[in-house]
Amino acid sequence: MAAITVLTPTGTLGYGFGDDALARGMSLGPAVIAVDAGSTDPGPHYLGSGKPLVSDVSIKRELTALIRAGRAAGIPVIVGSVGGAGSGVQVERTARLVREIAREQGLNFRLATIRSDIPIERAERAVAAGEIVDFEAGAPLTKELLDETVTLVAQMGHEPICAALDGGAEVIIAGRACDDSVIAAFPIWRGADPALAIHMGKILECGAFSAEPFAMDVMLGTVEEDSFLLEPGSTARRASVKSVAAHSLYERENPFKQSGPGHEIDLSGCSFEQVGERQVRVRGATLTETADYYVKLEGARLAGYRSIAIAGIRCPTTIRALDAILDDVRRKALDYFAPAPIAVAFHVYGGNGVMKELEPDTTPQREIGLVIEVTAADQELAHAACHQISGAMLHYHYPGIINTSGNLAFPYSPSDLDLGPVYEFSAYHLMKVDTPTELFPVRYEDL
Amino acid sequence: MTTRPLKDLADIVRSKNAGPYRITFDILFKDKDRYEAVRATGAISAESVARAYGIDVSQVSSFFEIDMANAIKITIRRPRAQGSSGDGDMYGCQHHVPLMLIAVPVG
Repeated sequence: MAAITVLTPTGTLGYGFGDDALARGMSLGPAVIAVDAGSTDPGPHYLGSGKPLVSDVSIKRELTALIRAGRAAGIPVIVGSVGGAGSGVQVERTARLVREIAREQGLNFRLATIRSDIPIERAERAVAAGEIVDFEAGAPLTKELLDETVTLVAQMGHEPICAALDGGAEVIIAGRACDDSVIAAFPIWRGADPALAIHMGKILECGAFSAEPFAMDVMLGTVEEDSFLLEPGSTARRASVKSVAAHSLYERENPFKQSGPGHEIDLSGCSFEQVGERQVRVRGATLTETADYYVKLEGARLAGYRSIAIAGIRCPTTIRALDAILDDVRRKALDYFAPAPIAVAFHVYGGNGVMKELEPDTTPQREIGLVIEVTAADQELAHAACHQISGAMLHYHYPGIINTSGNLAFPYSPSDLDLGPVYEFSAYHLMKVDTPTELFPVRYEDL
Repeated sequence: MTTRPLKDLADIVRSKNAGPYRITFDILFKDKDRYEAVRATGAISAESVARAYGIDVSQVSSFFEIDMANAIKITIRRPRAQGSSGDGDMYGCQHHVPLMLIAVPVG
């Protein structure tokens, strides 16, 4: 098998890469440009709302550079999990940018879009048939949860992308895809060992985060017969055994086993070898195909509408009394707005704002930054409750009060800010499918 | 016996989401000697991490010692899902401090 080089320009499309690094990377003769554009990491908002994670301006700028480079070299460009969550509206939004680029740059190519939206009825049938298992959500997926779900996608493996390559696609805009599969698809399509290709995908999907110094930048991987070789695009970076080994732990729980669509990769026998100053060779991943093919579902439901207020607290007597004040204003707000349910949360920065109940440090603070957060069924109610709480706190009387003119220093007027709809994950489960491609239709356009 | 906080002995101590329901911690050491030395003390364990965060050890979902990376990896269940009401750390990337301060016996 001939060596196959994948160029991954960055860890997330839209987060940037060096122009020089791309130029140098392209000079090394990659067979494909492949990049991931999303994750659940930024939270459920992008899945639920359909809004893009990264601005159209940044996506278009970077896609222009990549499609131009790909067309000049005659190699495909593959983007997975477009728009941040890979939902249908996000696929369409990115495809629109690609059509603009083709027109403005005078480029002709075959575009493939791959949808990953799962009809709610399809998932409900799977629930009824007992073909859904919990991944990590901690609770089973139910018909009720699915009825509340506004967007449901599944992570595709490499197979739908390979199908688009079979169809002659030169630019592939894919919905939600397993990060590794986006990178691994082309090498597998060309006959590379899937275990090596997927392990390489796992490392390359974050761009030059596996290099040192790490950055959102160009990284290249070359799959060979029994190993793959990693090298950053920029000569200002190097791949080291340490940087690559460290990265193989990142953002995942089990460093030795990684499950993906239809397979499990075993990394316990891997070895890393330094090659020269800037390259690392990796060997030893093995792959087992699972008896049944499962895809991971990701769903978001509308949790309500949110309003927040931001305030500083400087008075030491207020800070000492704060826990009791927060408990009391929360209780009074819940009573005041009952029976309408509202969810009230306080982020006490300077106290336990970041880690909440996991915060062991109780050192008294000089100054507190307080975020009052209310989620309710509609925006008007959320705003009303947020203002009720911020007003009640502003003029709250507590034992030992020394400053009776106000407890909160607001940086803004209005003090209460409407954040709009709030989404929560409603599905994070595995669903059995008959074939790897059945849920992921490919559509072609000759631009 | 004297002790030093883990941060003085490790090269990297970090936290990050591993999916929306878990936070994973990585401790990476400069070299095999330091990794072996800390590991040999037993100071970093599922139990000591649970203690550092005031959680029940059943909330620690896994604990790995990874020789090939000179690393220790611990994963816990989030008290609330990423992005749900009251969550204060969308990426889970600022949860490392109690781990960083665990006392490790030295000398």
